[in-house]
Amino acid sequence: MLRKKYYTALTLLGISLTIMIVTIFASFIDQIISANPPEVNRDKTLIVDKVSVFKNGEQTDAMPSITFLQKNIRDLESTEIISYFSTKEFVSLLNGKAAGHALKFTDENFWKITDFKFLQGKAFDLNEVKKGARVAVINEKTKAYFFNENEALGKTINIYGSSFKVIGVVKSATPFSKVYSDVYVPYTTDTNIQLTDKEIEGSYSAMLLAKTNDLKKVRAELKTRLKGKHTVLGADSVKVHAFTALEQFAKSSSRNDDEPEYGKTAIVVLVVLTLFMLIPAISLVNINITRIGERAEEIGVRKSFGATSGTLVTQLVIENIIITLIGGLIGLGLSVYASQLLIHLINTFDPLFKMPTDSFIISWQVFSFCLFSCLLLGLISGVYPAWKMSRMNVIYALKGGNNI
Amino acid sequence: MIQLLNIEKIYRTDTIETTALNKVNININKGEFVSIMGPSGCGKSTLLNIMGLLDAPTGGSITVDNQSVTSFSRKKLAAFRNLKLGFIFQSYHLINDLSVIDNVELPLLYRSGISGAERRKRALEALGKVGLSARTKHYPNQLSGGQRQRVAIARAIIGNPEILFADEPTGNLDSAMGEEVMNLMLHLNKTDGTTIVMVTHDEQMAKKTQRVIHFFDGQQVS
Repeated sequence: MLRKKYYTALTLLGISLTIMIVTIFASFIDQIISANPPEVNRDKTLIVDKVSVFKNGEQTDAMPSITFLQKNIRDLESTEIISYFSTKEFVSLLNGKAAGHALKFTDENFWKITDFKFLQGKAFDLNEVKKGARVAVINEKTKAYFFNENEALGKTINIYGSSFKVIGVVKSATPFSKVYSDVYVPYTTDTNIQLTDKEIEGSYSAMLLAKTNDLKKVRAELKTRLKGKHTVLGADSVKVHAFTALEQFAKSSSRNDDEPEYGKTAIVVLVVLTLFMLIPAISLVNINITRIGERAEEIGVRKSFGATSGTLVTQLVIENIIITLIGGLIGLGLSVYASQLLIHLINTFDPLFKMPTDSFIISWQVFSFCLFSCLLLGLISGVYPAWKMSRMNVIYALKGGNNI
Repeated sequence: MIQLLNIEKIYRTDTIETTALNKVNININKGEFVSIMGPSGCGKSTLLNIMGLLDAPTGGSITVDNQSVTSFSRKKLAAFRNLKLGFIFQSYHLINDLSVIDNVELPLLYRSGISGAERRKRALEALGKVGLSARTKHYPNQLSGGQRQRVAIARAIIGNPEILFADEPTGNLDSAMGEEVMNLMLHLNKTDGTTIVMVTHDEQMAKKTQRVIHFFDGQQVS
């Protein structure tokens, strides 16, 4: 590695940039679909955030209203718990500075489906929801913003002109998930809800924790529940869309709105990752051929004294994998800074509602995936050059790869 | 020890055919120190490479230590070289990234059944024989030409080879260092009974060996 510092630096740069991009990409997907805390039940949690209304042969899609959900999406045999929530925003003014905060109107069941870590206090319960109590659970980012290091419990924050008492502080969820918010309050404090409204369309979603992993059963039950029901005058039929985060992601590349197409999505992800990895791998192959070519004399000496082609290939590939792992570690480190830079860039487009700079989390799954990517990159970029060199004639190699 | 029978080496390209060795017949006996001399391009290095199993002849057969090696696979040839043969090159061919002792240990890396401690012990012994025990941690670029060649000799003998092949071992050295290296090889031949085949341009060096084979245009002339 130290022999030709230029080639080593180039190799490490190529690998680290590749792994950096792969890590950010993998981290993003991981946060969208993986069952990491607080969404430990993500693989069994379906989100109903869209209804399709069919009227006179035309389809209209919209978010459901709380009345629609409470009337039709309740007491399902195939689900354990159902929660309703709406995601809004509010602006605070602190020390003359305005800041935006994500706000979630939800219920007591929200805390049963998710597994938030309470750093202080507790969640609001059924009683508080029923009474429409002005209580709030905030995340640690919001606590730091409003209260610095001071105690937050019992203090109030102003939301839409009303004071809400802080009763709990939670570890922040990833901003890429449906359960993320800065502040959580009972939905019964939502002054925009018209609970007697018969409308289908609204701004609420439902979270359904299925009893088993058979999610088609839940969708089938929902279909049966809504069959033949005209929940609004004039509507021919209504269909709800209930999918887990992974299913939503799998549906993103399909035209079929009924079921996710894992195969198609997997192919898209695979193609993207392959492009990310293959192009640098080809460049690394070329660099490695040059690097190893400069060691032709050494290869010749080793062969003279009894090294077989297999031994040399193994040696060269292992050397390459070590360099790749070093580059990969650098890439992992770079991904932390690069992701923060990316978020700073995103935040410039919306300075009021800023994403936390530590939004990209490297879970053990992402770390393992990146380690695997390093090994794969090391193998792909190392095997062919090593094999080529190991086949070199001894005399030719001793002459440094020159004919004369 | 080494028998070459009707050895031919022909290099073919699309347009030209060059005969480097033309039906060469040579016997080297056990314990002999033989020189091969001849003008540049006469085929002596080619002959040495074929004897040392680093290159394959186009025709003929080779027997080394009573084994017909012409039909050996690449893997078998590599193992045979590791066990029985040692090489000393004109340009030393030391690996610059490895220390002296690591360079010397190299042949034993490819021999199974030898522990790291045993390898180290034998490397120190070999360096002792060539008088370089004090330079184990040095790197090749910190040594003189003569010292590098002595390291190369230590590397060549660490595996206790039966035959040593030396291709112009003093070619890149001044007369004093060349004399030193030659004396070392003579000592190895005398005390250990190692068979040595040496290619040289230097008549003075050749005279010190037991037999001189003269080559011209790919053929033995005397």
